[in-house]
Amino acid sequence: MHDETHHGDLLVILRHAPHGSSWLREGLDAALVAAAFERRVTLLFLGEGALALLEGQGVGPMGQKGTAPTLAMLEMYDIDRLLVEERALRDYGLDASMLLLPARPVGATEMAEELAAHSLVLNF
Amino acid sequence: MLLHILNRAPDTPACRQALSALGPADRLLLIEDGVIGALPAQRAAFPGVEGRLYALHEDLEARGLLGRHADGIQVVDVEGFVALTEACERTVSWY
Amino acid sequence: MASTEIYRYLSVAETQIPLDPEGYLVNRHDWSETVAEALAAEEGIALTEAHWEVIRVLRDFYARFEQAPAMRPLVKAVGQALGPEKGRSIHLMRLFPGSPAKVGARLAGLPKPTNCL
Repeated sequence: MHDETHHGDLLVILRHAPHGSSWLREGLDAALVAAAFERRVTLLFLGEGALALLEGQGVGPMGQKGTAPTLAMLEMYDIDRLLVEERALRDYGLDASMLLLPARPVGATEMAEELAAHSLVLNF
Repeated sequence: MLLHILNRAPDTPACRQALSALGPADRLLLIEDGVIGALPAQRAAFPGVEGRLYALHEDLEARGLLGRHADGIQVVDVEGFVALTEACERTVSWY
Repeated sequence: MASTEIYRYLSVAETQIPLDPEGYLVNRHDWSETVAEALAAEEGIALTEAHWEVIRVLRDFYARFEQAPAMRPLVKAVGQALGPEKGRSIHLMRLFPGSPAKVGARLAGLPKPTNCL
């Protein structure tokens, strides 16, 4: 469902997969800080960022923390509006049953609408 | 109307993602390595952006691309860049 | 963030427990109920069952998510575990005056919550 009233103030775009860099973690931290301060937050998993939603992630080879526990925690910060790029799901062969959180697939048109609808867009 | 700023070459995820998220009236400004996309041979990389595609003068010039850019790309200097940001509601950077 | 810098020691039953500059445990595994009582005493808090149940919620939160909660998710977690009457800022403010998320995390032996002031 596309519900205008659920458009949050802040849109955080996550474009990086887990573990390869700190971009994903930094993006999630920004979202958590905003939510802790009562801002409404939408997350858009774009490109390889979609891999952050994949179930079954673990720690890094040196025991570095993963981002999956943080994803699971989003609900406690009332961050529940999650969007994922349709094309990324296709590119990586993912479907809803493989994801650890329910994210709504969006096409290009809807992505552009989301960017326009949020008063603040942070791109990670 | 948003201003999207792209500083990566056409053959990158950042470029593809910027184009996916571009609204029908949004503008796209190429800066830094992004200006490689201003070459005529790269026009196919920016479908549907006719009349809304800009490139930064200084970055074209530094790369020897000034005068070699495709027709229809609007070249702006830093002042033009500022004017663009003022004309648009917000900017979104793709890097 | 968890700090590894030892700033001072807390004496608990003849053991020296290292604390970081903000009074959080340097080693999370040093935590025990006795340590929690000693940390609480430093804050001028005598722990009651109302405190302990929140401390358990905090420790459970960390076990699930690997982070200490900011105030908003703490209120939510307490509400989910202990009911809506207790899942309110005012209740937590009474138990852990000042900043319940920070004071609570300290007494629960967790790192300082990262997403709050």
